[in-house]
Amino acid sequence: MERQLSLHIEESSLFSRRKKSYTTRHEDQWENINLALGTMLCSRCGEGFEEQEKIVNSNGELWHPQCFVCAQCFRPFPDGTFYEFDGRKYCEHDFHVLFAPCCGRCGEFIIGRVIKAMNASWHPKCFQCNMCSKELADLGFIKNQGRALCHDCNAKVKAAGLGKYVCHKCHGVIDDKPLRFRGEVYHPYHFNCSACGIELNSDAREVKSRPGYAANDMNQLYCLRCHDKMGIPICGACRRPIEERVVTALGKHWHVEHFVCAKCEKPFLGHRHYEKKGLAYCETHYHQLFGNLCFICNQVIIGDVVTALNKAWCEHHFACSVCDQRLSPKSKFYEFDSKPVCKKCYEKFPVELRKRLKKMHEQAAQKAISSPTPNP
Amino acid sequence: MDSAPVSCNFVGGSKMTKAKRVLEEAREIRNPELDLVEKGISAFEELPGLFSLEFVTRLTLSHNKIKVVPSSIATLVNLEILTLFNNQIEELPTAISSLAKLRILNVGMNRLRSLGRGFGASPSLEVLDVSHNKLSEEGLPGNFWMMETLRALYMGDNYFENISPELGRLKSLQILVIRNNNITYIPREIGNCTRLRELHVQGNVIQWLPPEIASLDLGTSRSIIRLEDNPLAPPIADQWALGPHHLLEYIKTDTYKTLYNNAHRSRR
Repeated sequence: MERQLSLHIEESSLFSRRKKSYTTRHEDQWENINLALGTMLCSRCGEGFEEQEKIVNSNGELWHPQCFVCAQCFRPFPDGTFYEFDGRKYCEHDFHVLFAPCCGRCGEFIIGRVIKAMNASWHPKCFQCNMCSKELADLGFIKNQGRALCHDCNAKVKAAGLGKYVCHKCHGVIDDKPLRFRGEVYHPYHFNCSACGIELNSDAREVKSRPGYAANDMNQLYCLRCHDKMGIPICGACRRPIEERVVTALGKHWHVEHFVCAKCEKPFLGHRHYEKKGLAYCETHYHQLFGNLCFICNQVIIGDVVTALNKAWCEHHFACSVCDQRLSPKSKFYEFDSKPVCKKCYEKFPVELRKRLKKMHEQAAQKAISSPTPNP
Repeated sequence: MDSAPVSCNFVGGSKMTKAKRVLEEAREIRNPELDLVEKGISAFEELPGLFSLEFVTRLTLSHNKIKVVPSSIATLVNLEILTLFNNQIEELPTAISSLAKLRILNVGMNRLRSLGRGFGASPSLEVLDVSHNKLSEEGLPGNFWMMETLRALYMGDNYFENISPELGRLKSLQILVIRNNNITYIPREIGNCTRLRELHVQGNVIQWLPPEIASLDLGTSRSIIRLEDNPLAPPIADQWALGPHHLLEYIKTDTYKTLYNNAHRSRR
């Protein structure tokens, strides 16, 4: 669950970075401070200084050069730069290792302003909204399912979780139907119809182009009433306006890609289509469904069709199934397993088979009379 | 021997000469369709030069007395239709399955006990007619049911007792004829033959129909279902008497599915 947190960014005063020039007193300066030598002690070891010995002066404290070292590694400070914490001086490296926070994003040491949030420390530049990468240090953030989000993104996530959109204009959740316009969603009431000026509702239509408008004109919004008056064709499949090429078929208008075969649903894209009972089919499926493939060549029948025995033939392929001799569509033939057999071949069948076929034929004929198949 | 033309008057010889004339003419005009119906041919050896006519797409040899189909049939590489109806063939050469363009093979009314090894490898076979032979399930090679191009299968008047559940692999099958065999049971897998629109199972010993048949398009005016002369179980027989449409509607019901499952519990 999302937890709303108040802005909690700490300004760190953990350390101050110093580069103090320390002075080394040489022989020629020696006499000036000669009298003071007896009272001066090293800040680290507490011992006095020998005559002609070098003295380090840092911020009013004095040191033997060998005592002016990092409290951790006991080595002199590179370039004389040291970091002070809790009264001790450290070289840059050891100070970072011991005390400086690491950024939760880039892993580098943080010098300067440290943002403490989401149980980690961050460079101000590195603490960003998980969705839009906006810097959050000065804007504040909301913790949402372990992510830091800016207020806008959080509102979007929240709305999406409720199945709702966030208005691109006012950033409020859209409770009713949104209005889509130029790729974004809005409260419809932010807009007025481009033609009649009425405040829009979600029925409003976005129109890309219309007669008299140049191709690069921006999309405009119209109320449904004005849109209908503009006479833009509506696709018979998706019920949306057609702004590109229009296909007119079956007494309706279609998007080119929505005028498809009723069986395989592939668009015709200008290829020939076949109509049957108010539906359109591609050549293959029309013939597959409505049976005009030739029993012999299994191809779509072009030209005259012979239909018999629940099958179809190209006229020149209609032949006796036993001797392959052509049959004229008018010639008499016998039925054998719902295939045609010419008289000559049938008479060569064994008597027993002919008897059986005759009986089967009679049974089937009887059946056809007693129980007509319902024709949907 | 030198006065060869004289023998034309001999009855058998006259038919032979006609066959030879058909071949000669075919060679001259490169006729792709060869009709040698009822020519008294008893062997392919009586058809000299036939196998060199590689342009032939149809060869019809119905009503002859051929006993053996030689392997050299495979040299007719363009053959699409081969009709050998009403001969005396006892077996088919394996080479027949290497005819890459063969679409229609009619070997009905012969003496086949087996289709020969590897028959199912025929790559283009669409219509196979083996009606009126002596085939049983033992006579079908292991790859028989792999012929996915098959759209019509005629196996009436044979000695089949079982149809393999592999029938369901014939995805293109539109016509299945298994009438006048001794088949007791139609496999449920027939439901996978979704394009089936003709089913002839008359004259078998079938009591029940698998419920899967109801999902096929067999009850419409564009389909044929023939069930006569089977010892149908009473509920099926009653519906069948009302018509195929009633029967298929009944088979769809849960009542029937329960009946069917109970009747086949021992089988499965």
